[in-house]
Amino acid sequence: MRHFVIVGILVILMAGLTYVGLDSAGLMPVQASAQSVPIDRMWNEQVIAMSFLFALIVVPMFYSLIVFRRKKGDTTDAAHVEGNTRLEIVWTILPFFAVVLFAYLGGNSLAQTLRADPDAMVVKVTGRQWSWSFEYPDYGVTSKELRLPVGKQVHLQMTSTDVIHSFWVPEFRVKQDLVPGRVTELRITPTLVGAWKVRCAEICGASHYSMETPVVVTSQEDFDAWMAGEAALVAEAAATPEGRGKALVAANGCTACHAIDGVGGNIGPKWNGAFGEEVELSDGSTVPGDEAYLTESIKSPQAKIVAGYESQLMPTYGFTDEQIADIVAYIKTLR
Amino acid sequence: MTKSRSVGSGLLLLVIGGVVGYGVGLGLDFLVTLLTTGSGKLNFSGSVAGLFTLLSSVTAFFFGVVGYRGITRGLNWQIFGTLFGGLFVTGIRFLMGMRGTQLFGSFFFSEPAWVFGALVGAISFLFGVGALDDWMKWARGIDTPDHHEDVPGWEKYLGVSLDHKVIGIQYTVTALVLISVGGLFALIFRTELAQSQLQFLTSTFRLFNQTGPQIYNALMSLHGMVMIVSILLGIAGIMNYVVPLLLGAHDMAFPRMNAFAFWIAVPASVLLLMSLVLGGFETGWTGYPPLSSRGPVGVQMFFLGVFVAGWSSILGAMNVIATVLRMRAKGMTAMRLPILVWASIATSIISLTATQLIGLSFQLVMFQRLLGMGFFDPAKGGNPVLFQHLFWFYSHPAVYVFVLPGLGVISELLPVFVRKPLFGYRWVAMSSLGIALVGFVVWAHHMFTSGMNEYLRVPFMYSTLLVAIPTGVKFFSWVATIWGGKIPNPMPTPFLFTVGAIFVFLLGGLTGPPNATVSVDLHLHDTYFIVGHFHDTIFGGFVFPFFAALYYWFPKATGRRMNEFWGKVHFWLMTPSFLILTFGMMRIGLLGMRRRIADYDAALGFDTTHLVLTICGFLIATSVLIFIINFFHSVKNGEKAEGNLWNSRSPEWQVPSPMAAHNYEVPFEVVGEPYDYGLPGSKYVEFAPAKGKKH
Amino acid sequence: MTHTEDKKTMLSQGIYIFVYLAALTGLEFFVAITFKSVALLVVVALVKAALVVYYYMHIYKLNAEHEGDHDSYEYKSGTNRLGLWLFLISDSFVFGGLLVMRINLLGLTHPNLNQFLGLGVTSVLLVSSFFMNRGETMIKNGDRKGFLTNTLITFILGLGFLIGVVFVEWRLAAHEGLVASFGDPAKGPVGAVFYMMTGMHAFHVLTGLIFLAIVWINGRKGLYDEKSYPVEAAAVYWHFVDVVWIFFYPALYLIGTAIL
Repeated sequence: MRHFVIVGILVILMAGLTYVGLDSAGLMPVQASAQSVPIDRMWNEQVIAMSFLFALIVVPMFYSLIVFRRKKGDTTDAAHVEGNTRLEIVWTILPFFAVVLFAYLGGNSLAQTLRADPDAMVVKVTGRQWSWSFEYPDYGVTSKELRLPVGKQVHLQMTSTDVIHSFWVPEFRVKQDLVPGRVTELRITPTLVGAWKVRCAEICGASHYSMETPVVVTSQEDFDAWMAGEAALVAEAAATPEGRGKALVAANGCTACHAIDGVGGNIGPKWNGAFGEEVELSDGSTVPGDEAYLTESIKSPQAKIVAGYESQLMPTYGFTDEQIADIVAYIKTLR
Repeated sequence: MTKSRSVGSGLLLLVIGGVVGYGVGLGLDFLVTLLTTGSGKLNFSGSVAGLFTLLSSVTAFFFGVVGYRGITRGLNWQIFGTLFGGLFVTGIRFLMGMRGTQLFGSFFFSEPAWVFGALVGAISFLFGVGALDDWMKWARGIDTPDHHEDVPGWEKYLGVSLDHKVIGIQYTVTALVLISVGGLFALIFRTELAQSQLQFLTSTFRLFNQTGPQIYNALMSLHGMVMIVSILLGIAGIMNYVVPLLLGAHDMAFPRMNAFAFWIAVPASVLLLMSLVLGGFETGWTGYPPLSSRGPVGVQMFFLGVFVAGWSSILGAMNVIATVLRMRAKGMTAMRLPILVWASIATSIISLTATQLIGLSFQLVMFQRLLGMGFFDPAKGGNPVLFQHLFWFYSHPAVYVFVLPGLGVISELLPVFVRKPLFGYRWVAMSSLGIALVGFVVWAHHMFTSGMNEYLRVPFMYSTLLVAIPTGVKFFSWVATIWGGKIPNPMPTPFLFTVGAIFVFLLGGLTGPPNATVSVDLHLHDTYFIVGHFHDTIFGGFVFPFFAALYYWFPKATGRRMNEFWGKVHFWLMTPSFLILTFGMMRIGLLGMRRRIADYDAALGFDTTHLVLTICGFLIATSVLIFIINFFHSVKNGEKAEGNLWNSRSPEWQVPSPMAAHNYEVPFEVVGEPYDYGLPGSKYVEFAPAKGKKH
Repeated sequence: MTHTEDKKTMLSQGIYIFVYLAALTGLEFFVAITFKSVALLVVVALVKAALVVYYYMHIYKLNAEHEGDHDSYEYKSGTNRLGLWLFLISDSFVFGGLLVMRINLLGLTHPNLNQFLGLGVTSVLLVSSFFMNRGETMIKNGDRKGFLTNTLITFILGLGFLIGVVFVEWRLAAHEGLVASFGDPAKGPVGAVFYMMTGMHAFHVLTGLIFLAIVWINGRKGLYDEKSYPVEAAAVYWHFVDVVWIFFYPALYLIGTAIL
């Protein structure tokens, strides 16, 4: 009996200490969305349950290992206790109720994260290897970074052009895969002004690790100002071929693989000087870097492969001829 | 020739074979690029050179060790089978009018040639090693004896044997080899992760036609799959060695099927390693299309390797079930079966059935790649999420396949060491079946963020959380078994690992429900939290019990025991490092560390943690190295232990070690309960000369 | 042999079961072209499968007690029988997975195939199962000649089925444009599903034919006059292939509306 009392006290102590320890360690990143509130609450309830169950198993186990050690010279067996059906039923039934309770709570908190605001701002998210683009249909603007006004729900309508990606901002908690061929949805209400990052959470190939882009949450005024500026840029760029080309390049995330002015990936050849210089191909021959070559390389990327870039092959993007001409015009400006 | 000398000559030949293979591969690669493009280039880090190095060095090693028979012959046949199959398809494509680069593809052959060649290679291996000899004779109407006498000495382990004990050891040693390979992969990418930014696996790095991040992904994916195969082989090793002994059977129900199931795992392992040199695969072990329907030929080798290894698992499971149902000693009723047997049954039910679904899902992607069939291709009306359903229908229960035998080992060993009956035998036995059966209806909890139908999420949350109940029963019963027992002092190594297993598996179990709860999982999914949780369950459910079982049954197999001191060093080095490793993983996972990334944002401030994790990884590797040295050293030099070393009631310990060729000279009858420790005068088994003939 | 079955009863039982199966197949076809009730088609397929599993595959034999020595031929055959059934359970998960794929990708539509060819090959396979059952019954009763004749008929019918599916149906389907839909965005995955399902089944028919050939050749030498388990194994496997087709036939030809 004495053992049970001691273990009981130790279990409560241990459970309390474990919970306080875990709680004070700051397990979750900053709460930056309305959706993170129910999730963090649910998580906290689970940390309590974890701490209690941890103590419930670990304390009696280590207590036994220390207290019930075999005395020197004792060669007898322990008392013959085969089991206790009532106990077994108790520790089957009680966990059952706990499980149902937690599943119920889980369902509730899920419902809260899904709550839809009819006035939500729609943003169309496109993921591709290995970049993001965000289209604001209400404003006619497409951006490489996600800008959001604080306190307003955003309704993300997401799709992928190639493989599966996953939209995750740790500070917003919620996560959703982007599946090619279908549109998946996510609702986020930013509650904190600040800058974070979208991080692709589903492995999507060589540069999966770097598929990140900034998320900037600002006040509504700042957001409107930024949006006005972007819209003006769009209008300005649409006036010239190289401007349209530049916008296309930004919207399609070409710099994930191709460096411009030293910024961007090294999966494909850099673009500065791609026009005008001799290009060495993987089969040893060279071609002049002219308009025809650039057009062909965008249309059918595998036709001529630049030496050193054999391993990672570029997909075809399905641009129209005019769009390709715009992009080539833009590349021509890069020296 | 003594063993050490033959291992020495094996290593020498490994180097020579590697160099020769590298040279041949380099030359062939040069020749083919010359013929197809008109200008040859020496590709020093190319796939073909890598492939030839891999295959010739492994084959040469075994040639040095055992000469041209058994596994050497199998590997040799596999190489020639692969070449033959590849050339066959290439020939057909040539006749169909294909020429030049179209014919040869981006590598030596084209993708169909590699796939067909690899399949032919795997089948050729089985012919070469001799695993099909008896069946071929049966098909021709020739009868063969029930048992073949094994060659004496250690050479029998490198050729086909029908003895379940030999096969059990073959499985175990292969598992240890694969654990070392998978661990080595982990050390490489763990080193890369020690600091943010790419240090050596940079985008200018080239190996096997892959850039640094691609190699990172390939190693990370292979770490997963190689470890999974090693776990499947490890549990098969334990079940093969121990289950017939516990049942009093003279062998498994189907000895030839048993040998076949082991030997098919060898070409499967070779295929998995081939995937690394043939362009790698960067999909993670899950191989989700569309990513897996794009990559290089390596993806196909990965699919094929898993498919072939799956057959090993299926046929092994079939054998275990048949053995338990048909080969029990007299008096061994269902409620007198050792818990490990119950666990083996539960595991085998899953392996037998669900494994087919991962095989099918991988096969469908293979066909999608080879023939353009659009199962999972949205552009052709397919459904990428369907793959995930088929895949997880196996791959979630697979986790229970990995851990149930381990949990059985815990239940089996605890009563022996604490000298007390297993608390609530029936409940523990049934909880294994409960976990296995509930495990069939929880798969979609891996897909809460996948974009599957939303209404499926809540039901799968309920079903997943239900798994906690039978798992809880096990924990409570274990604690109740230890409570009031006579704890050995000092604790022997197998007991240390048993206790360690309970503790680590508890951590894995407790960190599970948050992942099952949809809303919290929206944050946790695909983060390092999952990685930490998963490693806790696998270490607690497989690695620790596996080591416990090896320390425990080693004397039964060899008549000697492993060194206790080094066993304890192994435990006390591995356990704390491992706990720090997984705690660290879960901590950074919650804070925003994604899984499967070659590099992480320095702004997250994870550098210090990752450095600690890497150090822990190396400490674990050191401890396993100590174990492996101890293991092989003790075979010859361990302290003699021929009797009932652990004072167990189990039948296999009532006869001298090592076990005789056909197990029990005198059959036994079960006359009591398996775990009645502390009940004076009780007996589990009684040996009595059989009235009929001996086996 | 301690376990004998009355030859005459067994043979006439085989005939009754065949008549039921043929009638149900006819009903299936009729239902499909008239009122298109999916539920009814599923029920009929389940009844057909149950008849084959019980009366042709003798699943009840798994339950039989085998007394005596674990090394006796009787006992070992019982173990082999269990192993075979475990394998079939495992294998049925492949076909189950294919059906799940078919339901997910095609729903209540099916490829536009030649209905009479489908009914034809289905009948051929069904008849082959009938002869297989006769052959097995005969060798169990020591009638080697009858066994050889019936097994040969089974083999020929099986070969006919294989040719009907692979060389006739596949070609016709290719002409109807199913091949193109391998990779045709407009037509969806119907061709892929059709070829995958029939292909996987045809592969099993092929292995079944190989087993039948082995059993027939060895049976000629009198190998199974006393120890007839291998014949039973080949027969059970052959019936299993038939059971799979009992589900695949409505899944590919009958359920839902035809699309291309």
